[in-house]
Amino acid sequence: MLPMLQEEFVQKYHWLTNQEFLDAIALGQITPGPLTVMNAFIGYKVSGLVGAILAMISSYLPSIIIVTLFAKFYYAYKDSPFVDSSFKGIKAAVIGLLAAVVITLGRESAVDISTILIIVGSFGIIAFSRLDPTFVIIGAGVAGMLFF
Amino acid sequence: MNLISPESKTNKDTMGNIQLKDICRVFFKIGAFSFGGVYSMLCFIERELVEKRKWLSNEDFMESVAIGQMTPGAPIVNTGICIGYKLKKLRGALFVTFFQSVTGVSLSILLAYFYISAQGNYILKSTMKGVSCAVVGLLAAIVYKMARKTIKSPTLALFVIASFLALFIFKINAIYIIILSGAIGFFVFNKMKPI
Repeated sequence: MLPMLQEEFVQKYHWLTNQEFLDAIALGQITPGPLTVMNAFIGYKVSGLVGAILAMISSYLPSIIIVTLFAKFYYAYKDSPFVDSSFKGIKAAVIGLLAAVVITLGRESAVDISTILIIVGSFGIIAFSRLDPTFVIIGAGVAGMLFF
Repeated sequence: MNLISPESKTNKDTMGNIQLKDICRVFFKIGAFSFGGVYSMLCFIERELVEKRKWLSNEDFMESVAIGQMTPGAPIVNTGICIGYKLKKLRGALFVTFFQSVTGVSLSILLAYFYISAQGNYILKSTMKGVSCAVVGLLAAIVYKMARKTIKSPTLALFVIASFLALFIFKINAIYIIILSGAIGFFVFNKMKPI
């Protein structure tokens, strides 16, 4: 999705400079929730508060429509042999995909012993205990602030 | 042989007790604390909805993740929408969409208003570095849990490994991997079903 955004907003319409686009991405990563909130930033830069709201609505509306239709169809036919068997394959594939993401992200982040410690520590806490992830995130943020 | 079955009635029975306002509250919390990238939210959703409150079974969760990956748009957002729909139909989908992003959006607008550039701030950078490491660990934990609960046969393990290699080594587009795994899954698992 990112290259498409860059093409449209920076190259085609010139609503943002490249630097502002990078800022938007950084902002999207700092704020909680999905990356798409950066669209609010872009919308705001272009047309203030109204622009931000419109940007968010138009980003989400197609997703809402498509996903809802898809889910409706899926849950209606979920027990049919076709859907059931193909989704068995899909679910397994998704695990593999996410595992690949973990490795890719891990390779980027694990640059030294302290980063590796945080990664392993968070994994351990979430995988083997009932601690709320909020604390892990906050703890890691504090650790980052202190040690990096 | 009837290939199509009506919508499962059991879903409606168990889902009746979940209130819309509870859904809003939980997704607001999820949306507010999932710093550090999109996969953070996945971990929070799993914790809150599958483990703590048991609103979703592991199966349901995996389905929503799969559907989220298959549909156009941000995968995590779509997963949230799918869960919202499953819990409370269209209203659920709409409310989840709103609450999972409202904190992030508001923060985003606020920061834009003060034009606080995220790039130069040193303290922010180091904090986020710690957080992104944590998110890797979080995602790894989720993958580990999902793998433990889902991989019950060597065939399934093969699917996991194959798609991992397809993305990681061969860099095939995720959408193609999903479509292919669905097609192959249909042939492989359908044959194994007694007729």
